[in-house]
Amino acid sequence: MGAPKVRLEATVRYLETEALNGLVAVNYGHNSFLESHAVFVLAGVRPIGESAVVVDRSGASTLIVTPAWDADRVAAVSQTSRTVGTDDLPAALTSVLAAHGLDGRKTVTVGLATLAHSLAGRIESALGGNSHANDLLIRQLARIRSFEEIAAAETATAIAERGYAHMLACVRPGMREYELAAELYCAMKGLGAEDNFLLLSASQHNLAVRAAGSRVLDEGDVILSEITPCYQGQFAQLCRTTVIAKPTSVMQDKYALLQAAMRAGQQAAVPGAAVRDVTAAMDACFRAAGYGDYCRPPYMRVRGHGLGITSDLPGDLTADSDARLEKGMVFVMHPNQYIPETGYLMCGEPVVITDAGAKALSARAANLDSVAV
Amino acid sequence: MRTVHPSIIIGSYVWDPDRVPRDEFQIRIGGLHRVMDANGWKAVLVYGDAAEHSALAWFTAFTTRLRWGMALIPREGEPRLLISMSSRDVPAMKLMTWIADVVSGWNWESAFDPWLARIAGEGPIDIGSIGFELMRPPLFASLRKSLGDRFRLHAADDAVAAMRTVRPRERSQISAASRLVQTAAASFIEPWRLGVGVETAALTAERTARMAGAQDVRTLMSFDGGRTLAPFRGAFAPQADRQTPLAGYVAVKHMGYWADVFVTGLRTMSSPHMHAQAGLRALLDLAKPGAAACDLHAAATRELGAYALHPVLSGSVGRRIGLSLNEGGELKAGSRETLAPGEIYSLHVGVCDSQAGGALTSAMIAVTTTGSEIIHLSPAPNVL
Repeated sequence: MGAPKVRLEATVRYLETEALNGLVAVNYGHNSFLESHAVFVLAGVRPIGESAVVVDRSGASTLIVTPAWDADRVAAVSQTSRTVGTDDLPAALTSVLAAHGLDGRKTVTVGLATLAHSLAGRIESALGGNSHANDLLIRQLARIRSFEEIAAAETATAIAERGYAHMLACVRPGMREYELAAELYCAMKGLGAEDNFLLLSASQHNLAVRAAGSRVLDEGDVILSEITPCYQGQFAQLCRTTVIAKPTSVMQDKYALLQAAMRAGQQAAVPGAAVRDVTAAMDACFRAAGYGDYCRPPYMRVRGHGLGITSDLPGDLTADSDARLEKGMVFVMHPNQYIPETGYLMCGEPVVITDAGAKALSARAANLDSVAV
Repeated sequence: MRTVHPSIIIGSYVWDPDRVPRDEFQIRIGGLHRVMDANGWKAVLVYGDAAEHSALAWFTAFTTRLRWGMALIPREGEPRLLISMSSRDVPAMKLMTWIADVVSGWNWESAFDPWLARIAGEGPIDIGSIGFELMRPPLFASLRKSLGDRFRLHAADDAVAAMRTVRPRERSQISAASRLVQTAAASFIEPWRLGVGVETAALTAERTARMAGAQDVRTLMSFDGGRTLAPFRGAFAPQADRQTPLAGYVAVKHMGYWADVFVTGLRTMSSPHMHAQAGLRALLDLAKPGAAACDLHAAATRELGAYALHPVLSGSVGRRIGLSLNEGGELKAGSRETLAPGEIYSLHVGVCDSQAGGALTSAMIAVTTTGSEIIHLSPAPNVL
């Protein structure tokens, strides 16, 4: 049984436990790699536009998709009992609720807070105005990746690694950042990546990674890349640092700090560990080297984070997170850090939580890579 | 066309003051000031998200790659741009706009409330808003809380849309986008003609556009001879099915502006394609200032004969295009819009038949004072 079917069944059990008649989960038509896509989690498909899944306590489920013309494609793969295409989501929802015999006021909603408020308002009206929101529900249901999802995440990681290898092969001074980003993006799409949260930028002294611009790459540049292909709904992220020249010894020494922090984070990230402790383990490496003042924005953002679109849990890896890790969680761990002597450096892998700690899905851990001029 | 919105917009959006200098934005803000004066508004708040940010980009040059952005534009004083990014990302975001005061909006109270407090006057103070229907409910609630009873919000979308004409610099940028989408279209058809599958052909088109500086590229393709369109699926059939026509769509964003086109490849010209082309010709013949959208729709569909308008067009044979793929002005059966000089339209006509397959064709036009100019047409169906 696929993950969506398992989660549809879990949804029914939740409805029974909570004495609710049905669930309405919505998505706003985006694939945020930082958020859970409730419709994808339950239906196993990503519609083009705004969409909803309705589940009742009998286990019957309906996927509503926009635009209407996308319905045939989606119906062929959706795990729901039925698929409906529409250009008016709230109106179709009203009909589907009636077909399920559901009173909208006795349903639980997921994701209304992610919609445009005008659309959310119309859907709330369709539900009768008194539905109960539980935006954590689907994120919780999907927080442990299934066997197939981990396999897809591994494929996404392999695509990222092959993409990065392609980047190393084609980067040269004189290229524009956007040309290198295009090479990387299209190479990964050609390997099956349906989406990509790709940031790539270069400077002689980076403050942070950003989207590619029109800057011309030069000797001595440090290229930062956040390579994040999505394969079958599973994002995987590599964070890499590449120098166009032979790296200086200072650069190598400072990069080793990030690698040490990564290893410390992986060791600390065992099932049951608090995210704050994993973060502290990484931060400790920088503090010991005298960079304690830099373990905060704008010198870094977070030490890692969950990966959409299945579930964004365990959330951001920060020093104040109360989340606890569980076996089978997949997320990116990245002790990326601004260092005054070198600028911003990046080092990160997608990891899965095992009894022995956070196991990287990537075949090769991040190194300070260089491109000969 | 609705297309799959990516998780992040990856292209280069650094503000280019040579192409669109600060004085251009001063002219646009001057127009907004006149709207404020006419309505008694002390400020206008312009919201945009990653999917729709046309007005925000028009006033600020800023494109929201991720989450949301909001320009706070006072009648007196300097504007502020709030971005939904961390403080780490602010320096990079500052490169994308002429506005100097760029602040992370993640700490709402410290980013918005002090700016709001600068607006002098006795309450209630009237403020215009643009794009607020797109805002997520939690942010809207925060905004409402900050405004309290001292400020009153008024939707400014229609008033601002009325003053937003396509300016000469924009027309030049749209022409550049058009040239790029035509290049991409050629890169779509040629590999298919040489025997590769439709997804490989679409990816070739995308790569061509991105390597040339496209900020965003959207493609749709048909796996069933044009009866339906689908987004990328990564299956990559090694070779084209030469019996099945090529039907695809490519949209390119360049220098902030969209251009789009349908592409077709055929073994022989078919009845659906001839009807689709006839429908497009009817549109081109009638497109001029004052032409009613509903009349244009009727004229186009009349030429389709027994065929129905293709479902992927969602009942529309065109719409305005520019900073957004859909700037409004849908040419539908019940539309009350009329064409006006200076407007840029993307015209789409297509038919679908369960036996004969589907056909889609398109054009981009600029409405002139006396008629319309063709910016580009779909490439002639490439008959093998």
